[in-house]
Order: sequence, then structure tokens, then C-alpha cells
Amino acid sequence: MTGRRGGGPPVATPIGRGVVRLGIVLLVSFAVLAAGAGYWQVVRSADLVGRPDDPLLIAAARNVVRGVIRDRDGHVLATSKKDANGEPYRVYPSRSVAPVVGYASRLYGTAGLERAYDAELTGIRPPDPIDELLAKFSANRYRPQDLTLSLSLDLQREAVRLLGANRGSVVMLDPRSGEVLAMASTPTYDASAIANPDTAKAAFASVSNDPDKPFLDRAVQGRYVPGSVFKIVTSIAALGSGAITPATRYARQPPAEKNGLLVSGYRVRDGHHPFTGSRQLAYAEAVEVSCNIYFALTGLETGGDALTSWAAKVGFGAPIPFDLPTVASQVTNGGGSYGGGFSDDVELANAAYGQGETLATPLQMALVAAAVANRGTLMKPHLVTRLSGADGATTIGPEVWRQVVSPDVAAEINAAMVRAVEGQEGRLFTAGAKVPGVPTAGKSGTAQLTGSAAPHSWFIGFAPANDPQIAIAVLVESGGSGTTRASPIAGRLMARYLASVGK
Amino acid sequence: MDPTIATIWLIRFLFLGLLYLFLFGVVRVLLRDLRSAAREPVTALGRLIVVASEIEEPSTGATFPLDAVATLGRDVNNTIVVDDPFASTEHAVLSFRGRAWYLEDLDSTNGTYLNGAPIDGLAAVAFGDEIQVGRVRFRLERAA
Amino acid sequence: MTTASAVRAGLRVGPIRPRFRRRELGLLVVVGLALVAGSVSLGATRAVLADGTLVLAPVDPFRLIVYLAALGCAHLAQVLAGRRTDQVLLPAVGLLGGIGLLLMERLPQGLAGSAFGNSLGLAGVQLLWLLIAITVITVLAIVVRSDTWLRRYKYTWAAVGIGLLLLTFVFGEEANGALLTVRIGPVSGQPTELLKVILVIFLAGYLSEFRPLLVEESTRLGPLRLPPLPYILPMLVMWAIAFGIVVIQRDLGAALLFFAVFLALAYVATARAGYVIVGLVLLVIGAIAAYQLFGHVRIRVDVWRDPFADPSGAGYQVVQALIAFARGGLLGTGLGAGLPAVGGRLPIPAIHTDFPLAALGEELGLIGVTAILGIYLVIIERGLRIAASAADDFRALLATGLALVVGVQAFIIAAGNLKLIPLTGITLPFISYGGSSLLANAVVVGLLLALSDRGVEPPPPPRRSHGRFDRLLRRSVA
Repeated sequence: MTGRRGGGPPVATPIGRGVVRLGIVLLVSFAVLAAGAGYWQVVRSADLVGRPDDPLLIAAARNVVRGVIRDRDGHVLATSKKDANGEPYRVYPSRSVAPVVGYASRLYGTAGLERAYDAELTGIRPPDPIDELLAKFSANRYRPQDLTLSLSLDLQREAVRLLGANRGSVVMLDPRSGEVLAMASTPTYDASAIANPDTAKAAFASVSNDPDKPFLDRAVQGRYVPGSVFKIVTSIAALGSGAITPATRYARQPPAEKNGLLVSGYRVRDGHHPFTGSRQLAYAEAVEVSCNIYFALTGLETGGDALTSWAAKVGFGAPIPFDLPTVASQVTNGGGSYGGGFSDDVELANAAYGQGETLATPLQMALVAAAVANRGTLMKPHLVTRLSGADGATTIGPEVWRQVVSPDVAAEINAAMVRAVEGQEGRLFTAGAKVPGVPTAGKSGTAQLTGSAAPHSWFIGFAPANDPQIAIAVLVESGGSGTTRASPIAGRLMARYLASVGK
Repeated sequence: MDPTIATIWLIRFLFLGLLYLFLFGVVRVLLRDLRSAAREPVTALGRLIVVASEIEEPSTGATFPLDAVATLGRDVNNTIVVDDPFASTEHAVLSFRGRAWYLEDLDSTNGTYLNGAPIDGLAAVAFGDEIQVGRVRFRLERAA
Repeated sequence: MTTASAVRAGLRVGPIRPRFRRRELGLLVVVGLALVAGSVSLGATRAVLADGTLVLAPVDPFRLIVYLAALGCAHLAQVLAGRRTDQVLLPAVGLLGGIGLLLMERLPQGLAGSAFGNSLGLAGVQLLWLLIAITVITVLAIVVRSDTWLRRYKYTWAAVGIGLLLLTFVFGEEANGALLTVRIGPVSGQPTELLKVILVIFLAGYLSEFRPLLVEESTRLGPLRLPPLPYILPMLVMWAIAFGIVVIQRDLGAALLFFAVFLALAYVATARAGYVIVGLVLLVIGAIAAYQLFGHVRIRVDVWRDPFADPSGAGYQVVQALIAFARGGLLGTGLGAGLPAVGGRLPIPAIHTDFPLAALGEELGLIGVTAILGIYLVIIERGLRIAASAADDFRALLATGLALVVGVQAFIIAAGNLKLIPLTGITLPFISYGGSSLLANAVVVGLLLALSDRGVEPPPPPRRSHGRFDRLLRRSVA
């Protein structure tokens, strides 16, 4: 169809229509641009500002008086002083909290909670968007906030003292709320020396060069072979999935006590034969004497897929969401085709009693104990309970993270763990863990390492077993057997806490 | 609220506000343009009426509304098709320039005639003048 | 006949009469007030940051007065010349230029680089080029009365364009990873900027002349119906040029701009969406090939996809730009109060050329960015309106092309700043620092103004093509 239009031999459509369509395309394109700007300037604004490489933070950090960090009882963990030029610098009264609180130094940036809550402590990010808007109109637009932690300085100090010259970690939390009461990692370091501009360089150099790696927060960043404490995770998987019941017994188990259990050519060995003779053990007694063979067989019964997925419910396989950066604990290195990532049944059998390729952080194992203690409901762990500033306060309350197992299953595991601490044979493996006068539950672990190093000493537990108020995980690197170091430390710390709250 | 900071923010808002005032002003111009363009009906600038024709297309009495430029010739793509073997494919063009009509002969074989006289290249045409292309005579009239 | 010969000579008939341009005056007043407010806010912020005292004075009143005076003179010149040109373009461009000038005032003056630049400072050099640009716009708007020189010599224009391109290929010097600058003695410039104007002139002439062919005909390749040869040939040439620019000059932005403008003009000329689709397919093929073959393209695309993967290395610029936008929020931090310097250095490198939008985004907020995008839309709209009411195809296509050159360039760099497309090294028209860019965009706006004159003589009647080339083309596709 030809149109009659002036301006040359007529063609199908006038140019005008094309121009209008082009105009619409350009209008839409620019609208998309405006939307894009809106996305970065409004939608993503909160999480971009407050990144450690935001130069605003870096510039402001130099001159703002950071908020005070306190423990649950009000003891000051971090505060600021002014130097000769009137510029502020940080001071940390206690060395024991260094791995948790970290440091804020002009030269070396931030670490620990000082880093994780940098924006709040310097006040770059005020608590609420309206405030954010109004803050633009005031001369001091940065309102630093104070942090209140759930940490107990008293417990923290005691934990560090008890760990002594060993490298290790203690994590204590309240299973009902997820609040972390102690998170010790030794060796610690002097954060004040790093924050003080006069001594910063020397202190930082000496800490960095220390072969014991004080900067490593072992509680959340250290992965260790768990040994027998992992049997609680296997219990969760086996009982939770129904692969076994508390009455399950294995016919193969007693003969294997003498010569070891043969799994595809590998022998699983055990050490409690003198105590149990040729008795077939049921679940609770297997926990009490920490029977490797029982758990190896249970692991094979449960299967790799179930073990991995139930372990994931309690936090394995991914970093735990927490106020500080954490690393993921693992059940296996993965990549195998056996099921759940295991390479074969031998690895599964070994993992089931806490060897193989299992690796756990002390925080992870504390969460395992907390899950069992709180009737199978795992609460989200957190350190910071309150942010307060000139514009008001925000409280961070308990939050349910997952329902790991049913309360019935949790009760079964609970009972078994009580036997492990208080039973006739059990107490031989967990000497010192019992809190006098209080029913205590727990599990010790002796994690064998390759090579000639002494095994890691582990203990996880909670008290009182009938109404748990505190869950704990203790790890002493190369501390020997579980009884040697970890169990007594745990017992004393639990006792101290319960005494302080009047139990 | 600190008075110094508040004053500075006032000026900043003034700046941003004036930017939007500019945009608003432009939009008003735009809308006014659109409205006036919409109000003007699409009227032709003039008409060509066939006074005498010895062929079928166009026939006597036919009226053609004219735009600014109209081509005449035998080819079907012309604005006004003169289907006459005595007309060239592209014979002439009639255009409205500024305030007057102009007729230009496009090197046609038989020439274009204005009021009976052949034109040489470009010639001015007034309302009422007669144009001859091939064996068809047109008259230029005002728009109806 | 005297009138006839005058018309043939292409000159305007009648005496020159000064005309009032009320709308332009009104808009310019608003622009002036806005720039004064902006300047005062910048000056006050500076004073408060320096010593806490409130001083309500513009930063560098001299430059501001010179700039506003230049705009006023341009307005006056058009009034006296009595041309009925568009009354919105000059104020819009003036506003953008003023915002750019304010931005250059705000940034550290040492960014200018060359010895000449250091003596005047960043803002001084920008002001100089702005004055030259305003002059160019005014001269073009007043003096250009006929478009014959543009439409008739299109192949000459094409040759000049290719020549410029080859010049940059051979003599180009590197700046920010792209081979864009050519230095002749003390003067350095970017010929590619002018190239885009020349390209539009050529395309407008070519497409308007071959429009009927392009719309009606198509080439047969076996059972397929492809666009006709007069379309395919230049499209492939354009594609090759674009690819060449990417390869040799390493300038992704210019290549994208050229090809996009070509496709858009082709669509407007023919209204056949099929042509655009074929072109887009070629573009995608070229993009994928470039990604696979060239490291510098790969880096840009990878950084675009996830700049946070390497926030202190390759992704640093983009990450810092996004953080700057985030710091701005809805209202911005205020001119002069953003862009925290760490160790005396600004957070975003090359901020005055590549990331002016990020700086403005931080200091003027989302509200300011939207306003600036709006001003670009205004310029585009005026250009398209001039195209829609143009007297013939050539003028319509020329106006469309010119509007596109400004609009699409602004889009590409703004989208790159906002991580919507990979970052390219082209400039934000009228706001970025750089003489070549200002000059080229001034030519664009000047030509648009010339085209918008409603009283100019109508276009010449459509010429019957006598050329052998055209006859050949017609025969080949008939």
C-alpha cells in the first residue's frame, strides 16, 4: 500500500512513525537507567555503605570515638582514649576477649567484632532510615553506638586461665536462647598494644610472627578432627532418621572388640573391651563407653546421604550464621560417589565415630550440644544482644534456627549423654566433667591425628541435664585423651556458671 | 538541628528544586506544542483541479489535495499519476516554498506548460494558473 | 525572475528581523538561578568543611559570571539573527554544561593533567572549552541556512570520516587503555568524537536517498529473503568499522555507539524491524567473538558481571562507583560533601572523564541523577521533534541521528556507571571533562538548531538520480 505524501516518491510508512517509536524506546531506556540508579542508591544502599573498603568508613574511622563494647554484666571490653593530639584510640582491658572483640587500629584496620560491627560502632549506619535522613542535618552526623554482648567476662577469663599454655578453645552458650556466654581461643593476644599507635607496629609484628597463631579465632575458624564427640551427630542422624532405635544391638560388635571390625579390608578398633566384655551394647551404653564399633556399624546403617543431611541440619556443611565470620565444618571432603559425598563405606564407618575426613569447629560442636539440650530445637547463636546510642536502643533477641530432631529423640540422646558423664563406666572417660550436685550430660572425645602428634582433647556437654541452662564445647589441641584436659575444664566452667546464676 | 547545616541543605534543595523547575518548564513547552499541533487540522496547502483531460487517469474534474511537494508524471510512484504516453515518467514537480508555489520541469521530453507557455526549469505559479503535463491541464486552486 | 534565482541559489528571501525568544529567555533565567544556587551550595559546603563558618558565596564567582554571560550572548545573538530555531536546546545544554562546570570546580583542580591544564585548573580548562562550544553552537545555529553542503557530498563526508578513523588508528595514543587521542604538537584531541557527527551526516544522506529501495526491495539468497544489497553492504562496513574500533582502539563505547546509531537510523528510515534484528544478530556475534578473542574485552565483561569478585583489583573502579551511588542515597550528600578522600586521593580514579555520573549521584542523590537523565531526555525529545516536523526525509534522518548521537552516548556511559552494561570509556555529553567531546556535541546541537529553523527555505525538490552507481544498484535489485 503506498501512501501519498510529499517529499519524494511515496514509500510505505512515513518517517514520523519511526521517530515516535524510537522516542518511546529511548524513553523506556532512560527509565531503566533511572530505575538502575534507584536500585543502587536506595535498594542496595544499606549493604554497600559499611563495606570495609568504603572510603567513607576509612576516613571517618580515624576521628570518630567508637562505641563502647560491654559484656553481659556491664564490664567494659573495649573503650576509647585520646592521645596527645586529641585523636582517639582503642583500649581493651582484658586479653581474654581479644579473639572475639578484635581490635581497631589506625594502621592495621579492624578485626573481630570491631570489624563486623564497624559501621555501627563508628555510627556510619544509624539505626533507622528516618534517623539516617535527619542525621544529614546535624553537624555531628555520626552517632556511634555501644554494643552489649552476651559474653561473660568472668567465664571468658576463667576459660582462658584453664586452657593455660595449651592451644585450644572453649565455647559456652545458653541453649535456650543461643546467647554465647564465652568464646575463648588460646593463645590470645594483647589487642590494646595493637590499637595503641605507639606500640602498634611492634605488637602486630610479634603477634603475626607467633607460630601459635594468636590471630586465629579457633572457636569459629579452627577446624579439628572431632573424634568421639562426633558420635552425638551420628546419633542425631541415626535416631532422627530411624535407622536405629535406642534398643538396637549389633551381633557383630562383641567379637569385633577383640580383633577389630573389618570394613572392606579396614579394621576399626576399640578400647573399652575390658569394661564390656562380650556384651552386645545398646545405644545408651555405646555412648557411655564410647564404642567405636557400635557407631561404625550405626553409620553404615544410617548411610552416607542421611548422615550428611542430618549433620547439615545442625550446621555442618555451611558457615554458621553468626556475628563473626565462621568456616564450615564438614562430615566429608565430598566428591565421592558412595552417597552423601563419601568415597566408600570405609570412610563412612570412620566418619561415624569422628575420624575419617570429619572436621568441626568448637562453635559447631557447642551447637550440637545445645540442640540436644534444648529438646531438639537449635537456637541461632549470637554474641551481640543490644545496640544502644544517642537515638535509642535495639535489642537482638533469641531466634529459632532449626528444629534438628524431635523432643523424644533429643531426650534419648540426652539420657545417653548423662550416662556418659555420670554412669559407672562413663565417668572414667569424662572425669572432672560432672558438676557437683547437678545432673550433667556430656561426651568426651579423643581425636586421633595422623602422625605422632598427641590427639585432640574434646568435650561437649550441658547442665543441668533435666533443665539445661548452659551448653559447652571444649577443645584442647593435642591435649591428650578427652579425660585429660577437656573434661575437667568443662566441668569447672559449667559449675562456675551455674553457681553464678544460683543453681 | 544545626542551623548552619540546615541552611546549607536549604540551598542544596533550592538547587535541586530549580533543576526540576527547568524540567517542568520544558514539559509545559512540550505540551503546548503538542496541543497546538493537535489542534491544527491536517489541511492541504492547495488543490490541483483537472480542467481538461484526454485520458482516463486522471479524468476531467478530478481534484488532488496538495502537500508541500507534489510530483507529476507517468510513473506510479508519483504523487499525481498522469497515465499519458506524452508525459515522461517523472515529468514535473510542484512545490510550495515559503509563501509561493513553484513548478519545476524535470527535463521532460515534451515539456511542461504554464498558462500555455513552456517553462524553463523553475517557474512561480499563482492560484488560478493552469499547468499542462502531457495532454492533461490542471488548475492550481486554494485549499477547500 | 529574481525570486526564482534567489531560491535556486538557496538563500533566504527577505530581510533579517530580530525576534524575541521568550521561552528561551525564561528557561535561561531558571538555568542561571539553578547554577547560582548550585555554586553557592558548593561554596558554602567548602567553607563549612574548612573552618566551620557559614559563608554564602558562590565558589569562583568569576567563572560563573563568564559562563552565564556566554549563554546570554548566545541567546542575544539568536534573537538578533531572528531565526525561528528551537528555544529549549540552548538552555538544556547550558544547564548540563553548567552542572559539568560545577563538578569540575568541585573536583581537585590538579586532575587536568597537562601543563596547560595545570595553569588554568580543571574548571578553567572546562570553562574554556564550554565557551568555545557555545560559540560553535551559536555560529552554526545562525549561519547554516541550507543543507545542500551536507546532503550533496555524502560520499565526501564518508571519506573524511574514514580518513579520521585511519588517522586515529595509526597515530593514536593510549589513555586509559584506549587508543583514542591524537597529538599534533601541543594540541591533543579525540577525532572519534567528530567522527560520529560525520557518520550521521553520511547515513542521513545515504538512507534518505535509498529509502524507497530499502523499503520495497530485498535480496534473494536462495529461499531466503534478506535485506537488500544497499542495506547489507553499508551494514557490513559499519560492523567492520565497529569491530576495528574495538580491536585497534580498544574503545568499546564508540563501537557500540556507532552501531546502535546506524541500526536506529535504519529502522527510522525503513520502519522494517527485520533490518534491526539482522543488525542485532550481527552485533551479538561480534560481541561474543570479541569476548573470546580479546583479553581487554573479557576483562571488562567479567568485571561487569561481578565486580565484587575482585573489589581491590580489576573491579575497583566499578565497586567504588557503586559505593559512591549508595552513599548518595535519595538526597545525596550535597555538592562538595561527598567523595571522601583517603590519603588525599579520590576514591574513584578517572572520575572527571569516566564517572561524572557517579560523582553527581553521590552528591546530588537519586533526585539529582533523575533530573540529569531528564535533561538528556529533553535534548533527545527536541531532536526527535525537529525530525518529526522536518520538511523532508534527509532533514528528518539527520535530526534523528544527531539526537541519537547525544542520547545514546549518554545512555551508554550512564549504564556503564550503573553496572547495567560493561563500562566503556566514552564521555557523558556536556558534563564530562574533555574538549573534543564538548566540541563534537556542540556541533551536534548547533546543527540541530539550524535544522529546527521554521522559516528557512524548503528543501530542494527530490532529485532524480542520474548517477551510474545508482542505476547499477537499481538494476541489481530490480
